[in-house]
Amino acid sequence: MNAGGSYENTKAFLIDTTKCTGCRGCQVACKQWNQLEGEKTHFFSGEGYQNPPQMSEYTFTRVKFKDYKKNGQNEFAFYKEMCMHCNEPACASVCPVGALKKTAEGPVVYEADKCIGCRFCMMACPFGVPKYEWSKAFPLVRKCTGCYSRIKNGLHPACATACPTAITYGTRAEMIKEAENRIKNRPQRYYPKIYGQHEAGGTGVLYLTHQPLDELGFKPVTSRPLPSYTWQALRMVPGIFLTVGGSLSALSWFTHRKERIKREEEMLGKGRSPEAEAHEDREERP
Amino acid sequence: MTAAKIIINEIKGYHRFLQAMIVLVGLGVLASAVRFIFGLGATTHLNDTYPWGLWISFDVVTAVPLAAGAFTIGVVAHVFHIKKLEPLVRPAIITGFLGYSLVCIGLLLDLGQPQRGWHTLVYWNLHSPMFEVSMCVMAYTTVLTLEFLHPVCERFGWHVPLRLLRNLEVPFAVLAASISSLHQSSLGTFFLIAVDKLHNLWYNPLLPLLFILSAIFTGLSIIIFEATLVHRYLRQPDETELLQTLTKIIPWFLGLYLVVKLYALAYLSHGPRFDRPGLTALFLLEMVGGVVVPMVIFSLKRTRTDSSLQLRAATLVLAGLILNRFNVSMFGMIQKNQEIYFPSVIESLVTLGIIAAHILFFVLISKYFPVFEHHPETVDYAIPDRFHKIEGSEEGDKTVKA
Ligand code: SF4
Ligand code: SF4
Ligand code: SF4
Repeated sequence: MNAGGSYENTKAFLIDTTKCTGCRGCQVACKQWNQLEGEKTHFFSGEGYQNPPQMSEYTFTRVKFKDYKKNGQNEFAFYKEMCMHCNEPACASVCPVGALKKTAEGPVVYEADKCIGCRFCMMACPFGVPKYEWSKAFPLVRKCTGCYSRIKNGLHPACATACPTAITYGTRAEMIKEAENRIKNRPQRYYPKIYGQHEAGGTGVLYLTHQPLDELGFKPVTSRPLPSYTWQALRMVPGIFLTVGGSLSALSWFTHRKERIKREEEMLGKGRSPEAEAHEDREERP
Repeated sequence: MTAAKIIINEIKGYHRFLQAMIVLVGLGVLASAVRFIFGLGATTHLNDTYPWGLWISFDVVTAVPLAAGAFTIGVVAHVFHIKKLEPLVRPAIITGFLGYSLVCIGLLLDLGQPQRGWHTLVYWNLHSPMFEVSMCVMAYTTVLTLEFLHPVCERFGWHVPLRLLRNLEVPFAVLAASISSLHQSSLGTFFLIAVDKLHNLWYNPLLPLLFILSAIFTGLSIIIFEATLVHRYLRQPDETELLQTLTKIIPWFLGLYLVVKLYALAYLSHGPRFDRPGLTALFLLEMVGGVVVPMVIFSLKRTRTDSSLQLRAATLVLAGLILNRFNVSMFGMIQKNQEIYFPSVIESLVTLGIIAAHILFFVLISKYFPVFEHHPETVDYAIPDRFHKIEGSEEGDKTVKA
């Protein structure tokens, strides 16, 4: 993890939902690049027109469709759902074996060989991103990789490359600046907030929208990095161990001491047996 | 007669209740086999919305505090050195040993890659509460196994290890308490990551403290529960008089828990608390039925000597704890308009099998090993002694045949 450091130079996605046409090119590109199996789906199995109904072990990204009314007209809003590549990912902090990691480049990647399959990452992720291979006898976790292998080789993620209009890719600082500029230049087009700038302590995916975020179904998420919630308790672990252990040891030494002394006195009274002497020898050593 | 025949004849002699337990355990083993052959997705009702279900909520999150009797009574009897409570220690250790062993089994069943369980020992992540809990559970299971060797050595008359174990009794009690305060509380830390998911009635930063406090009064209550039942159904001596000491301790912890809980609810939780009637009902049930009422009963003078009142109050505490852990790990996590999770047949059979295995092995161990016949008065604990034959061990041999 980038210890308390800045995430300005990590790579980030800027997804401008006002420019998204709902073509789902990103969805297809992601499937192709990651060689994900197709899912048999049918329309209206989920909420509205979106298909497939949710992200899954076969679908790392998906375009959500939201219909709403504007001036009495039916309108659509689209937005691409994917792993947010949080600056301080909850999924990585809870993983007992550290199978999930924030890379210096930005993507949060998963090392399948380490994973024990406890599914804590799925519990922890505030955006519901990691999915499980429920179809398998020995399942692993699947989620968007941020196309780490492509980035390592100087390419952009498959989905960002395929997108004709809405996705911009670059360093997080640049993307935030770009988003701020767009909001400033066309205030009537944009809702004045960048989703992901502060959510969960900041994420590697930033969204611009026209409507208020909650109307579009963006989850309100705390702006404090999630790992800090558990760490404030966990950091006390060594202290608690030493305090409890130390005080109970001291206590038992005292409670047992009385008895020891009593016994020794008894023995003195009775006259020493060789056994009692042996005890005392041992006790007298520092 | 072959060994198998001896075993079958032995089993035929068991009470019908025990035979039923054997059947349940068998079904549980079968269900686990099915789970491994067909996979989690096919055999459980877990899905991406409910990555954790009955197995985590009961077999781990609830079973761990239910097994807290061993460390609490260990502290009371050995550290505070209330010697007369000694007879309660050994049954509690057996329960703890069984409880933790079964927690390990439950955890392995729930893992998608159980063959990689050892990875936690190799790839450390100090930021993960799950890492902390698994390390502690492994360490504590080892301690409990060593403590459990005690009656085993006595049974077979192995004097040298027995002498060693006796001298380690107090250090083990201290170690058990330190490890327990870590992982009992860290189970609460699990849910601190569920910001905006776990309902405000349960989500607050003091959750780990509440978990360890409730583990303490649950540990003490389960000892009362167990001792009373064992007296009634296994014809063991009546310990009401010894339990009296515990009934004096429990209300303090219940009270402390109540104060911390109410403080956290009032000042540390954010957002609406009583917005969902279903959850409010569960919350009240847990707090009133599982904390306030037993606190009152335990504080009554009459309870000191009345074993059925003790049993009733202890049962309430246990029921309240189970409800609390389910509220935190399951019910409180259900978002508005979300589908509801029910455990599948396989999941239920496995959990039933685990509970049955606990009862079964407890009865069997106390049948074949000196668990209740332990007479600590005759033994010198305070000073290390030479390795010689221990008084009272012949007696241990005799009781085996009983
Ligand atoms: S969105 Fe979820 S899965 Fe992705 S990095 Fe953040 S916590 Fe991890
Ligand atoms: S399921 Fe795997 S990746 Fe997720 S927290 Fe558990 S071990 Fe880590
Ligand atoms: S970054 Fe790669 S893995 Fe993630 S959604 Fe885009 S194409 Fe799929």
